[in-house]
Amino acid sequence: MTGAAPGGGPPARSRGVIALLEENCTACMLCARECPDWCIYIESHKEPVPGHEYGGATDPAHAPAGRGRQRVRNVLDRFAIDFSLCMYCGICVEACPYDALFWSPEFSYAETDITALTHEQGRLREWMWTVPPPPPYDEGAPPPREVRGHIP
Amino acid sequence: MTPEEIIATVTGGLPPAVRCEADYHGVMLRVPAGHWLAALMFARERLDCDFFDWLTAVDEAGEGFSVVAHVYSLTGRHHVLVGTLLPRSAPRLPTATGIYQGAAWHERETHEMFGVGFDGHPHPAPLLLSAGFEGHPLRKDFVLAARAAKEWPGAKEPGERDVPQARRRLPPPGVPEGWRPS
Repeated sequence: MTGAAPGGGPPARSRGVIALLEENCTACMLCARECPDWCIYIESHKEPVPGHEYGGATDPAHAPAGRGRQRVRNVLDRFAIDFSLCMYCGICVEACPYDALFWSPEFSYAETDITALTHEQGRLREWMWTVPPPPPYDEGAPPPREVRGHIP
Repeated sequence: MTPEEIIATVTGGLPPAVRCEADYHGVMLRVPAGHWLAALMFARERLDCDFFDWLTAVDEAGEGFSVVAHVYSLTGRHHVLVGTLLPRSAPRLPTATGIYQGAAWHERETHEMFGVGFDGHPHPAPLLLSAGFEGHPLRKDFVLAARAAKEWPGAKEPGERDVPQARRRLPPPGVPEGWRPS
């Protein structure tokens, strides 16, 4: 469906498109493995973390005991969702432990070429600008853990 | 009609071979295949279920196939499920199109998806599948060939570019061990 629906838009709780906040993605593969449709493609490689060569020490002689190993991190090379396969179950959004996947209400991305429904990283990142802010907490809910000042 | 009234009507009007069960989402009539049309006619005439909602099948694996129809009363706002269990070797039923015309498309779909035959159907052509499609895709023993032909995107480890060849590839769900696309 493309364009405004009669009545001004899709009904409540409709699902639009999945957005990727690539800054948060650690290429952990959890979403790609949970996806029942196999429609998430991730490519990544490992890179050394600069400044952590010797556990943060500048020379090996002062490396803390047991901290001599080079630290590496995953760098995302490709993240794509094939919306021609996606069934909009939202399991990837639920599965992501790093808050990198979000629901956007945008739905106007119909295509005449089926391969164009595979949204690559850049396009998925652009959808982030359309993600609404999270709903406010319920009245009387405890304050979120990260703003309580300490982590128990 | 309340579920209790439906059960009382069924117990008085259909043979004892028809079992009537009520749970939290409604009443289900479990009928032998021989009483299939009689049960649907009873639902339409005596239970006032004039609206045919849907008909489909369930692959019950070793037990066979259940065919289930859902009918609804527009005036009484009650609904009834009618189900029958068919043997796996020869799943056949007489067509219900003489009672509910709307069953025609549903029976065509159930036929192509589960291989259940509907005797006397006026137009038993495939509804959704392309001509020449082999097999019945909603049977549990239908091989999900696309799963074997396509590499699982989740097989890679984080930070790895390729799946190591040494790792044993488990067959994905829906593909038997050792199955290869021919």
